Formats: sequence, structure tokens, C-alpha cells
Amino acid sequence: MILSKRMLPILGVVGIAALSACGTSTTTPSSSGGGGSSLASCQGSITVATDLPLTGGDATDGPPVEKAAHLAVTQANANKVLGGCTLKYVSKDDATVLKNGHDPAQGAANFTALSSDQSVVGVVGPFNSSVAVAEIPVASQNHLAMISPANTNPGLTQVGTNPDVNTTSLYPGAKTYFRVIGTDITQGQILSYVATKELNFTKAYSIDDQETYGKGLSTFFQKYFAADGGTIVGTASLPGTTKDFHTQVADAQSKGAQVIFFGGTSGNGCGILRSQMPASLPELGGDGCQDNKFISDAGSNALGSQVTSAPDASKLTTATQFYTDFKSTYNEDGTESPYTPYGFDAMNALIQAIKAVIVANHDQPPSDSQTFRDAVVAQLHQISYSGATGTVAFDANGDTTHAGFSLYTINGTKWAPKELLTADATGKVTVAG
Amino acid sequence: MSDESPAAADGMLVDQRGLTSRSHRGAASSPAVVATSTVLRQLYSLVQRYFPQILVAGIALSILFVYTTGGLTLMGEQIKNALVLGAIYALVAIGYTMVYGIIELINFAHGDVFALSSFYALIIATSFGGFVNSLATGSGIGLLVALVILFVTTMAAAGFTGMAIERVAYRRLRDAPRLAPLITAIGVSFLLEGFMLVKFGADNVPTKNDLWITGTALTLGKVSIAWTDLFVFATAVALMFTLGAFVRITTLGKAMRATAQDRNASLLCGINVNRTISATFFIGSALAAAGGIVYSLNYHSIQWSLGYRLGIIAFTAAVLGGIGNIVGAGIGGFVIGIIYVFGGQLAGGEWSDSLIFAILVIILTFRPTGLFGVDVTTRA
Amino acid sequence: MTDTAAVPRQAPAPSGVPVLELRDVDVSYGRVQALRGVSLTVGEGEIVALIGSNGAGKTTTLRTISGLVRPSKGEVLLRGQPIQGMGAEAIARLGVGHAPEGRRLFSRMTVRENLDMGAYSRKDRAGIRDDFERVFALFPRVKERSSQLAGSLSGGEQQMVAIGRALMARPTLLLLDEPSLGLAPIVVDSVFEVIREINQGGTTVLLIEQNALLALNTARRGYVLETGEVATQGPSQELLHSPDVQRAYLGM
Repeated sequence: MILSKRMLPILGVVGIAALSACGTSTTTPSSSGGGGSSLASCQGSITVATDLPLTGGDATDGPPVEKAAHLAVTQANANKVLGGCTLKYVSKDDATVLKNGHDPAQGAANFTALSSDQSVVGVVGPFNSSVAVAEIPVASQNHLAMISPANTNPGLTQVGTNPDVNTTSLYPGAKTYFRVIGTDITQGQILSYVATKELNFTKAYSIDDQETYGKGLSTFFQKYFAADGGTIVGTASLPGTTKDFHTQVADAQSKGAQVIFFGGTSGNGCGILRSQMPASLPELGGDGCQDNKFISDAGSNALGSQVTSAPDASKLTTATQFYTDFKSTYNEDGTESPYTPYGFDAMNALIQAIKAVIVANHDQPPSDSQTFRDAVVAQLHQISYSGATGTVAFDANGDTTHAGFSLYTINGTKWAPKELLTADATGKVTVAG
Repeated sequence: MSDESPAAADGMLVDQRGLTSRSHRGAASSPAVVATSTVLRQLYSLVQRYFPQILVAGIALSILFVYTTGGLTLMGEQIKNALVLGAIYALVAIGYTMVYGIIELINFAHGDVFALSSFYALIIATSFGGFVNSLATGSGIGLLVALVILFVTTMAAAGFTGMAIERVAYRRLRDAPRLAPLITAIGVSFLLEGFMLVKFGADNVPTKNDLWITGTALTLGKVSIAWTDLFVFATAVALMFTLGAFVRITTLGKAMRATAQDRNASLLCGINVNRTISATFFIGSALAAAGGIVYSLNYHSIQWSLGYRLGIIAFTAAVLGGIGNIVGAGIGGFVIGIIYVFGGQLAGGEWSDSLIFAILVIILTFRPTGLFGVDVTTRA
Repeated sequence: MTDTAAVPRQAPAPSGVPVLELRDVDVSYGRVQALRGVSLTVGEGEIVALIGSNGAGKTTTLRTISGLVRPSKGEVLLRGQPIQGMGAEAIARLGVGHAPEGRRLFSRMTVRENLDMGAYSRKDRAGIRDDFERVFALFPRVKERSSQLAGSLSGGEQQMVAIGRALMARPTLLLLDEPSLGLAPIVVDSVFEVIREINQGGTTVLLIEQNALLALNTARRGYVLETGEVATQGPSQELLHSPDVQRAYLGM
């Protein structure tokens, strides 16, 4: 996920009335930790929370993810997933007026507050990697599980993958961070797969925007493109203010490049580069390019560009029920942000872990909150849960073992998802739908 | 640099090598250090003396190197790219050089006037129900008329903007210490950038004039030259020649040169210095506006922050050409375009900016007069 | 004068009103006072010399008259009209020509362009053409060099161009600052010859000279400035015979 989101007017808040509709749900998320126990004797209430940017410039992606997570809690209570125990839900907003969107300082404050509430055992969030950097140490010290539905910065979990993040120092205590979305490493693998296996390119030219995200993605793309048998014929690293790419385009053409890869954001030239490339030479990019800015900058050359971005689960059969429930609860499609079902799955994974802890503790929630929290983290490490977006499982780093990204192309004047690709822990890419 | 020893003047011993640097007083003057410094000093004076030759040789070698490694097509493509880029730098550089020449002010706001005028052009092309826009895409004659309308109105608007900036922000500080108008200029630059940011937004703004000038004009070998390339280059060259003639022949042009050379003597001749300076700002800004128009016709998108970086690069072009020297600024623009593109080709695009500013430092160190120079130091 | 310039010159003053009058003028540069209570008059058709040592305030006096410096006190009257506080360019258009100290030519412009600039405020093309001829007649060397850059000329030639440029405005009052400075003696003679010629053509002249003997021999009257004040004044012949002046400025 790129750190800054485009400013958009705040969406209307629909939430409150939706609670009344929860009883209409008929799904029971298939449980892996249930073990046939009804947990009828379970007593008490357990709190789960979300921390997402809900206001300001991030209001496109944050609120639907929050609603999806909330929906998971509502359904779990309705279906008595925890038997006699009930789930309490708390929503925190990490956006501030000052930043007009996500604010790491606010995120850290939210986590401090949640940690000090002994009834809270897990949080879904945050959305932005920069916020995660501020929150992870707080969660780590307080043994509080957190599952991000959107962070892609590999440095959050994997040492040495991002020069701007000191991964080790993020975890002063327990390793409590998980995410259900793949990292930019996976995105690089999938981009390389698309370039080499689907488009059959053997020669690529890579340009990045000199920023952490763009440089990182470009590095991973180059690495996997070479591993997949391709040749990187040239690279350039240009500041985000660059407006003229003619030199690099001419260089790429003279070196026989079949595609120019751009690691970076539209604001830093992804679409401008496209407008200066011949229509016959395609451009490939990551999630930083997938927005309207790209389309307006690329102008008449926009067609034919391909980018990977957040996985689009809307066509998966496993997600059909989720989208139906979301629509009936909130009267929204839930497809505006591709991250929405990931908020749902993240919360369900958390609930399943909580359930497994209670089952293991003779159908009662552990009385000591620290014990409870540690047990939830331990369960999350072992979980394998079939959610709307596919199997939710985590590796030792807390990264998802079934990371996916979608390939998008420009359809008329909009980005349209073409296919969803996933990569497993070994980097093997498959087309999921 | 002078070879006369300041050491002798303050009574220091001067050794037989003619060491002049004060930094070698005392223990530092080991033979090795002395030898190194002598070599350095000789290198220094060599670079100083043969600066244009070294520059031209470097450029020629770069082009040759691109030819041998990348082939004729790549060389041709990059020369084309360099000339198009250079044309825009040249148009902007002229405004810097004119203003510096006449009031010895580095007008930091000039790059932003360039950016602002590209927005003027967008507004003019799209207002009146997009009259100019539809004219331009209608027919060949329509395009010609549209271009004339666009150039005349945008250049006039930018010219008046430049005059207003001078009148409001610089005139009262004309005899103030040099730092005051410089800081004001930076202030005006931020003001204009802030205005554009608020008014036109942070993102690139598509100018939607892709269809004005389209197609390939001619193909040399495998290098295809688009009409836009030709248009940018021809516009810049034509405007530069027009300006050159204007400054040489007309009374106002002569008055501008006279005021630049000696303001008091100009006053004694009865030259209306304020009006002449106003006219200089008008013309400089109008040329920047021409740069803004060709920029938007070439790149099809503009942004509030456009003028900052492009402005500094164009300023370097002005310094390279000898600041105050109009012809020099024009040629400097093209030279910088070539350095930018070929430096980017050879060293990697990430070095292009650094290379330009290294050139700026080198010129100011070795050749403050620039290639065709007016000596900055004696004028300052 | 048959002045047809578009810029209106002042009507000839009624007889008795001097072309130029300074009344009790003070000038300061920052905290340094350069002129103290200077009063002087220049009559129609006169050549008046200002003599004095370096730093006595001679150049400041001329700069004050032509508006480059503003007096902090006192009045400068051109044909009876106060001009102190007017801009230099406006004063130039009133018919005050000034060949400044150090000549101040536009060195990167040609000689012809320099003369053009002298006539900047005039619109009468025919008159300008006549004046070109007049300057060329006065200084044949200038004509020979007219397409050269002014900066490439010798000191004497530059002085001629400086005077010529001041003449191109058809001044009624010509201010000359050290016209002999740095020139070979033979050139000095010819320059002063021309100054007399210009004066005979009807132009009033106020000149500064280091060479007091030459100045007083050329001028009808003279003023002696000492540390910013008028020390003595009078007809040239009187000054030439004054023992003080002889001792201080004539090296006798």
C-alpha cells in the first residue's frame, strides 16, 4: 500500500441503521478451531477493535473495511460462534484533521488506549504502512494481536527488505503483527509472472521514482523478472518531479525493451511516462499507478497499460456470500475498495483464534488478559481459515501465506480488474480467478 | 583567480614554487601537499582557460560515445530530445538573463511565471466554450489562428504578470542591499506556487491539447521527428531571433541594453528607466509564457510545481551562457538540454539533475562569465 | 535655439533669471555630509568652472543638479523653476546634459548607439540626424569609430563620445565632469577647443576641472569648493590672480 491516499470527499456514513439488519445473515463462517464444542458454558464478553483511517483523504478505503470488520463481529455474535460469550466491538479512527487522513501519531495513541483496555484481545488494522510503523511497537509491548488488511511494505515483517524501516526495532516485545495482504515482494513476483508468463516478455526496462515504495517494488520486480528468465536491459531512478522521460524511452527502445516497468506512483510520473511512450511499447506498474491520475496523465496513450494492485476478490465464488451480506447490511456494493473483504477476513480470523483459545481453556476465556492475548497470537500463527478471499494463514513473520494481487487494465476510461493472481510462500504464482 | 600572491602582500614568505594559498601556512606545507596543490592549481588555471573547449569536447565525446554504444538511431533520438528540451530551457533562461542583466536580480519567481503561464494558456484554450480548442482541432488554418490567439494572449497576460511582480515586489527594493530583493523573489516564487497549488490542485493537470499538433513531420533514418518536436524547436528559435533583433534595433531594446550596462548614465540620457525595466520584465515573462505554451503542447500536462525545477535548470543555462547575455542564454539552454539528455543517457537519468548543478558550480568557480560572458563578479 | 523636440523644453528665461541657481544646498551620503550650504548661479551662455581638490564636492554638485542625488536642504532652480527632487531622467528631458565623471559610456554598445541613447527622449528624426552631423563635425574621430564598441575606444575618444552623447539631447545646460581626466595634453587642448565651440553655439556650460588653470582660462567665472562649501568665487581672471587660489590650485 502506498502511504498517501488520494483526497476524496468524505463518504456518507451509513453505519448505524445497518446494525438492525444483522439478523438476516445466514452464513456461518466455516470454523477450523471449533472442534464440535458448542461453548454454551462460555461466559463473559471479549472486545475486538479496528483501527482504520475513517475520515479526511482516506475516506475511500477506510470506512468500507471498517464496515466489513464490523459485519464479521455482528455475524459471529448472531451465530453464537463463541457460544455463551459475546464479542464487543470498538472502532478507532487513525485519521486526523491535521494530516487530512491517516496519522501515525494518532494510530499509536489509539493502540495505547486499546492496549490499556484489558478486555481487548485483538485489533484489525491499520491501513497504511506508515501508521503500522508507529503502532507495531505498542502492540508488541502489550502482546496485542493486530491484523492489517492492507499493509504491503515488506519491511514491516521481513528484516532487511526495506532500507527505511528498521524491522527489528519494531518488535520490542512479542511478535504480534499479522497481515492478510501480500507484500511488495509478492507484488514483484506477480508482476514478473505477468510480464514473463502471460505477456511473454523477455526484455524489460525499469524506472523508479526514487521513493521507498517505488524503489522497493522496482527492485523486487527486477529480481524476479531476472529469476523468471527475463533480462533487465536498463534501469533509471528519477525524482518524482521528473516530467520528461523521453531520454529513458529512447534508451529503452534502443536496448530492445518490450516493456517499461514503472515502480512508483502516478503523482511521480507513472502516467506521464505512459504519455511519452510510443503506443506500441507497453507499460507495467504496481498499485501506485492504479488511479484516475494515471488515466488523465497518460491521455490518449492510457489504453494498453497494465498494473497490479490490491487483489480484487469480487469475482471469487468464496466471496459471493460476503458481498451479498455486505449489500444487504449496508446497502452498498462493497466493491469500491478492493480491501473491503480483507477487513472481513481479518476480523473473522481473529474471532476464530479467540474461539480456539477459549476451547483450549475449557470453554472459558482466560482470566488473565496477558495470557489471553498471548494465546490469541499463538493461535493466529497456527490458523488456517477459509475466508471470503481464500485461505487465511500466516507464516512465522506474520505474513499471509496466500498473498494475492490483481492485474488491472484500462477499460475505456476506468481501471478494470482482469484477473486475481496469488503467490504462495515459495513465490509460485497461480491465477486464482 | 589571480596569480599575484596575496601572501607577499601581507609579508609572508613566498617559496620558490610561488605558493599563494593562505591555507598552507605552517605545518601543512609538507612537500607532498605543496606539490599536490601546485598540480591542482595548474589544473585549475587550465580548466579556467580552456573551459569552452573542455565543455564542447566533453559534449562531443558523449555524443560520440552514445553513437558507438547505442547506434545512430539512439544518438539521433537523443539529439532530438535534447533540442526539444533545450528549446524550452532556452525560452525560460532568457527571462532570467534579461532580468539579471538589467537589475542584477536572480528572479526566482521567473520559473513560476513559466508554470503560471502554462495555466493561463490552458484557461484561454478552454474558456469561451473551448473556442480556441475547437478552432485548433478543426483545420490547419484554424490551428494557425488558434496558436496566434493563444500565443498573443498568453504572452501578454504573462508579460503583465511579470510587470506587476516587478512593480509590487522589486521596484522599491532596487537600491536596497542585494539580499533584500533576492529574498523577496523567493517569497514571490512561493506565493505563485501556493496560488497555483490552491487554484489548480496538487496533481498534474491534463491540458487536453493532444490533438492540436499531431503526427510525424519527417523521418531521418529511423528517427521520426514529430510535428510537436519541430514546433517547439522552431518556436524557440524564431522567438530568440526576434528578440535578438528587437534588442539590437529598436530604441526600447537599446534602452534596455543601456539600462543594463549603466543605470545612472541611462537616467542622464533621459531614458525612462522604470519603464525600461518594466518592459524587460514584460518581455522576459512573455518568453517564459511561450515556453509554457510549447511545454503544454509537447507534454500535455502541467503542474503547479513545474517552474521550480525547470526554473533552476534554465537559470543554470543562463549562467552557462553568461548571465546578462541574451544570445548566450539561448545557446546555454540548448547546451544544457544536450548535457541533460546525454548525461542521463550515459550516467543514468538519476544523475541528470546532479550533473546540471555540478555544471553550475563549475561555471561559477571557473568561469563566472559563462561561455560568452558578461563578468558576473565585476557587475555585482 | 530652434528646438523642435517633442519633449517641451522650458521657455527661455526672462533676462536676468540665471539658467541655473543653487540656493544653500546640503547633500549627505548617509552620515557623511558632502555639500554644506552651496549656492551658485550660472547665467545664460556662460561657461562656469567648479574647481577644488578631490573630495571637495564638485562631482556631488553636478550629480545634485542632474538629479542623481537629492539635496537634504536647499533649492536647485533651473530657469527659476525648482527641480530638486525630480528624477534624473525628467531633469535630463528639461535640457540638462551631463557628461558624468568616468564618462560612463555604454561600453558594450557601439559609439553610434551611445549617441542614439543621448537623443533618447527626442522624436525629431531630422533634428537628431543634424545633431549626429554636428557631433561628428566637432569630433571627426568619433565619426570614424561610430560602429565600434564604445568600450574599445581610447580614453580621449571615450571622452569625446561622452560629450557627444550629452550634446545629442540638445541640452541648454551642459554639465561636464573632468573632461580632461586621463587624456594626453594635446587631446585635452582639442577637447577644450570643442567645449568653447559648443558654448559659442549657445549652450551654457558648467564644468569641473582638476586642471584649474585650464578651467579658469576657459570659463568666464569660477567657484572654488573646499570640503563641501564654496570657499571663494568670482570672474576667472580674478581667481587666477588670487594668491590663495594660486597657492592651492595653480601650484604657484
